Amino acid sequence: MDMELEREEVLSAIHHCVKCKLCSIASFHPREEWLPLCPSGQFYGYQAFYAPGKMEIFRAILEGEITEPSEGLLNAVYACTVCGACYEKCKQITSVELGAPDLFEAMRHELASKGWILDVHKNIVEKIKETRNAYGEKYEYKTKSSDENADILYYIGCTARYRVPEIADAMLGIFDKIGIKYQVMDEEWCCGSVLIRTGQVEAAKELVAHNVEEIKRSGAKTIVFTCPGCLKTFEKNYPDMGVELVHSTQFLLRQRNMNLKKEDLKAAYHDPCHLGRDLGIYEEPRAVLSEVADIKVMKREKEQAWCCGSGGGVKSAFDDFALWSATERLKEAKEAGAEALVSACPFCKRNLKEAAEKEEIKVYDVVELVNRCLEG
Amino acid sequence: MDEMVSRLVKELQAIVGEENATDDRAICTSYSRDQHWHFVPAKNPACVVRPANKEEVRKVLMLANTHKIPVIPYSTGINVRGLTIPVHDGSILLDLSRMNRILEINPEMKTATIEPGVTFGMLLEQTRKYKLRPAFPDAPLTVSVLVNYYLRGIYQTAATDGHDHTISYEMILPNGETLKTGSRALSRMPYFRYGVGPDFAGMFCAHPGTCGVVTELTAKLYRLYDNRKEYFIGFDDVATPTELIYNLMNDELAASIRLVDNQSWLKGIFGTFDYPYEELPKFVLCVLVEGVDGVFEAKDTLVRAYMKECGGEVLDLPAEFATTFEHESLGGAEKSCMVFGIKGRGNYHCIGLYGPLTLAAKYYEVHERTALEVGIPKDHVHFYLDPIYSFHGQLCYFELDVFYDGSDPGFGAKLRNYNERQFHKLLDLGIYGWFRPYAGIIEPTVERIGYLAEVWKKFLRVLDPNEIMNRGKLF
Repeated sequence: MDMELEREEVLSAIHHCVKCKLCSIASFHPREEWLPLCPSGQFYGYQAFYAPGKMEIFRAILEGEITEPSEGLLNAVYACTVCGACYEKCKQITSVELGAPDLFEAMRHELASKGWILDVHKNIVEKIKETRNAYGEKYEYKTKSSDENADILYYIGCTARYRVPEIADAMLGIFDKIGIKYQVMDEEWCCGSVLIRTGQVEAAKELVAHNVEEIKRSGAKTIVFTCPGCLKTFEKNYPDMGVELVHSTQFLLRQRNMNLKKEDLKAAYHDPCHLGRDLGIYEEPRAVLSEVADIKVMKREKEQAWCCGSGGGVKSAFDDFALWSATERLKEAKEAGAEALVSACPFCKRNLKEAAEKEEIKVYDVVELVNRCLEG
Repeated sequence: MDEMVSRLVKELQAIVGEENATDDRAICTSYSRDQHWHFVPAKNPACVVRPANKEEVRKVLMLANTHKIPVIPYSTGINVRGLTIPVHDGSILLDLSRMNRILEINPEMKTATIEPGVTFGMLLEQTRKYKLRPAFPDAPLTVSVLVNYYLRGIYQTAATDGHDHTISYEMILPNGETLKTGSRALSRMPYFRYGVGPDFAGMFCAHPGTCGVVTELTAKLYRLYDNRKEYFIGFDDVATPTELIYNLMNDELAASIRLVDNQSWLKGIFGTFDYPYEELPKFVLCVLVEGVDGVFEAKDTLVRAYMKECGGEVLDLPAEFATTFEHESLGGAEKSCMVFGIKGRGNYHCIGLYGPLTLAAKYYEVHERTALEVGIPKDHVHFYLDPIYSFHGQLCYFELDVFYDGSDPGFGAKLRNYNERQFHKLLDLGIYGWFRPYAGIIEPTVERIGYLAEVWKKFLRVLDPNEIMNRGKLF
């Protein structure tokens, strides 16, 4: 895994930030509306929670000015979903090469290596050691139709297995309805995303090695992911296994034999950060969704989508902040005239759905709607 | 010291709530440095406090005044030239970003009354509903309206707006007293700059440090017109276009008139790096004409007539460049910040100053010469000028820019050397004034202003006898 950034490279990137803070708002022109982009800064307010402030903190750590952890340090560093919206805006303006998400993950790695880490994130390591999944659930997930000779392997991921099983069920339902043979790993371990995103890179190495071995043994040619976090981790942090890696929406778009009955549903599409900003997959989910619902466009979309508030270890450590971010997104969807907010990520679905308990709007993953609309 | 700060934070928390005051080292560090760190080194405040309203500001100031603790007011966090970096140990950073209410937009009076945390973007979002806009600086639209106006140095993107956009304001002094300027002192109508006695609104502006904390300010708004037309005229030097600029300003024909070189601000004005700028003439005059029906057409005819005989080349450019120019000039600077990304350099240095158009070519010449003397490559030397209505004294804002790699400490040393030489050279050449009271620029100036310096010092001491308001920047 290549997680190491050279100190000089990091400092150079930090010194390139002129602190214009345009990274904290969506493109103003031509709409001329003030639309915040940084959930962390918007929620907490102190400069430390915006990208320029966090960079100063990282500089001070690297230059030995901050020599011990504090509550403010851990909050500023970890109450950030590392959504990357700041970088997308910055690079439009300044064409910088090394982006804030890479820097912030490097900062977490630096902090974790010093033992400056939140207890709740440390506990995830223990849970994974014990159960091989991030939630510490009893390791068990059986499917009826898994075919160990299938070319398609569905990598379910911890969240769809243990917290949002309706997504896994829907994906498996789609496979069955359209007659695709697939396999699911009996020994699917956590992909390591949550550990890498919280700076605990070393703890992820064993998981990566195990999954690589199991996938090689499976003989699969294509791995389908409903979790963009897992997909990103396989893309960026796993060695090349000679296997095709695709998101569920990319996979669905290729299927020519789907007989979908469009619903009378006005739906906004929420771009998951890992899927959109990290992997550049914006159009496929929209194309699939447009087959099953009428899409309503929100003000902050694609590269400048407002994060749901769940990623980067935030949901486990700062749930009030995570739910606030999700509520902001739900309000935006309702303003766009949507009856449902549809995402393509179990993390997003979980957090948005929890927030939606107080809002009159439904929350789905795109595969749920596809499964529902498939006339099998 | 730590114990004293802890006690102070507890007292501040009693004023603003526990979550809005802290001495956490990391939180304080995030306020320790701005883009000008090659000149003003990083320094942490002892604590940060985030008041929500003027009463909390008053209590914080009175507490600081009692204990003689320096206070650094800070608005939206877009700070340049070290103006909000503490000078003294143990300072309170007064983060006013929570005070972000637009208190009034008065379309009949063409004014807006705002708190310090209101940005240009926030304000335009509301004023455009009335076909009005604020006067924009060529700074990111994330900056504070109030603070830009209070600092007086508006390097505006629309010449037509004139120079001064502040009408009146309310300021809380270190002793807790509230001071209201202009008609605001006499009535509930804050719409006139000159109330009784001297122009106090002007007297409190643009100090190194501040006199107090401005908690609300009433500013001028300007009309947005539907009729607009843009022109771009190329020149090979700075002197030739000055005649055209003079004619446009003298006849009050154009809303925005900006002379920029083809390698820096033009990229932001056009909104793209992806264009063969090197094929354009070295300097480009960007002109925007606007107005109501009838007036607009008449102005446009006259502008085109002047352009014909100006000695420049009227450029035929993609239509989207004109649209971006409109947005950046009359809607707030966003793409203009692409100057930070020129060749991935990531930082900029500029000397901003006011002077007459007649000296434009001289300012550019001395800029380039001094840069070369200290080893700054020619391709790092950039320039722009914006004339300002009503053009008495042929008033222009000039910016002598260097865009550079912020991570290169050697370049920082060259720039310090450049400054030392350039300040004196410009003062010798003749300027109207500096854009901002930033590091190193005021000291050589004060030597030349005679008894005014003494009066200035005394004036500040009357208002702030304990010298808590970010003193040390100069006096």
